[in-house]
Amino acid sequence: MSDWAVDFHTHPLLVREMIARHPDLAEAARKTFYIGNNFQPLETFHLELDAAGLDKAVVVAVDATTALGKTVYNNEQVAELCSLSDRLIGFASVDPNQKDAPAKLEAAITQLKLRGLKLDPAMQRFRPSDAAAYPVYEKAQALGIPVLFHAGMSWAPGSRLEYGQPLLFEPIAVDFPKLNIVLAHLAWPWVTEAVALCLKYPNVHLDTSALYFDNPRDFLRHAMTQVIPKSVFENSLRRQILFGSNYPRVEIKNMANALRWVGFSDDFQKLIFGGNAARLLGGIA
Amino acid sequence: MIVKLQKIEVQSRKDMEMIDITDQIERVVLDSGLKNGVVLVMTTHTSSGLLVTEGIECLERDVLAHLERLAPKDPPVGAYHYWHNRYLDYDGRLGFNAGDHLKSILGGVNCFFPVENGTLVRGSRQRAYFVEYDGPLARTVFIQVLGEGA
Repeated sequence: MSDWAVDFHTHPLLVREMIARHPDLAEAARKTFYIGNNFQPLETFHLELDAAGLDKAVVVAVDATTALGKTVYNNEQVAELCSLSDRLIGFASVDPNQKDAPAKLEAAITQLKLRGLKLDPAMQRFRPSDAAAYPVYEKAQALGIPVLFHAGMSWAPGSRLEYGQPLLFEPIAVDFPKLNIVLAHLAWPWVTEAVALCLKYPNVHLDTSALYFDNPRDFLRHAMTQVIPKSVFENSLRRQILFGSNYPRVEIKNMANALRWVGFSDDFQKLIFGGNAARLLGGIA
Repeated sequence: MIVKLQKIEVQSRKDMEMIDITDQIERVVLDSGLKNGVVLVMTTHTSSGLLVTEGIECLERDVLAHLERLAPKDPPVGAYHYWHNRYLDYDGRLGFNAGDHLKSILGGVNCFFPVENGTLVRGSRQRAYFVEYDGPLARTVFIQVLGEGA
């Protein structure tokens, strides 16, 4: 098992080098994803990881072509960014409403060497359990890659809460038992439903990138000790929780510190920060 | 009369950090041709600051530790809370760094030195610091010289 510590959920929207090469990424950051932070050199991303005590980060694309006529990083751009840094792990995105989505996914994994699939039903505006998306899930399962789903509430303008409800993902967990599914943001405000899915289906996982009020420390304490007892995560979901920050909506350091503050055992924290990601990715190096 | 404004970028590497920028200020003064006047320095970021103090590592740590005690990033549990902990619709994210803004206010966001015969007038132990309260980040600092040329 790898000892790498990983942030499983980041959006590389602030990277200046990429905006210099692709000026449309600035508008994607400001208007589609809706983030106001200053653009930063890639070095800041690396330093963010250092400040959080992490080694690597998953960076994701989002293909919202049908819903918005836009991508927030496309697969080629994610691959290009990953070529600039050995600390980044690229995840592809495809638009399930497009018939060639499975083929695009296969190309992203086999040719661009991306390592997983990111889907955001709330932004891409599709029902996760819709049969139209099944060919994409079939392809992901065949490729042996994890699927990171946005779940729960989204801040992005125009995104629909409805498509973030955890029970919409149950048919996928049932019909694709060998597909590793990660529901982001603890699927807040439906944390209880998301935990129920994890308890029932071992191929369902949660990432910790949840912050909707207060501060990271108090929010994770609320969600992971009060909404759900800490012991449930510690005892029953050891292999199904992954650290994610959702950077740049939150700094990586703040979410990492908040998760450590919850006070899980050291061995469980090693799984959250790296071991579980390594298993889903088939290794991290 | 010389009035010149120079922008520099300071890359902080930690969450909180004091970065000595005295040499960069002196370089701007030298390059400007200013002989007698003042140099003004300001950070454009509200979770960073500018301070003048003795340039030794132990004091740097004490300054940061004291400001963190005065305005902690997260208040002691149950003691009080920050009003700033809410969704900022203009920013697309939560603002939960009130403590860092407060540090910036307590420490200040600008400094100045007289300039005499092209040299900064400062105490022998005084150094000018950019102070990061919420890094790591690439930050912008403006340095303006004002006065008579050579």
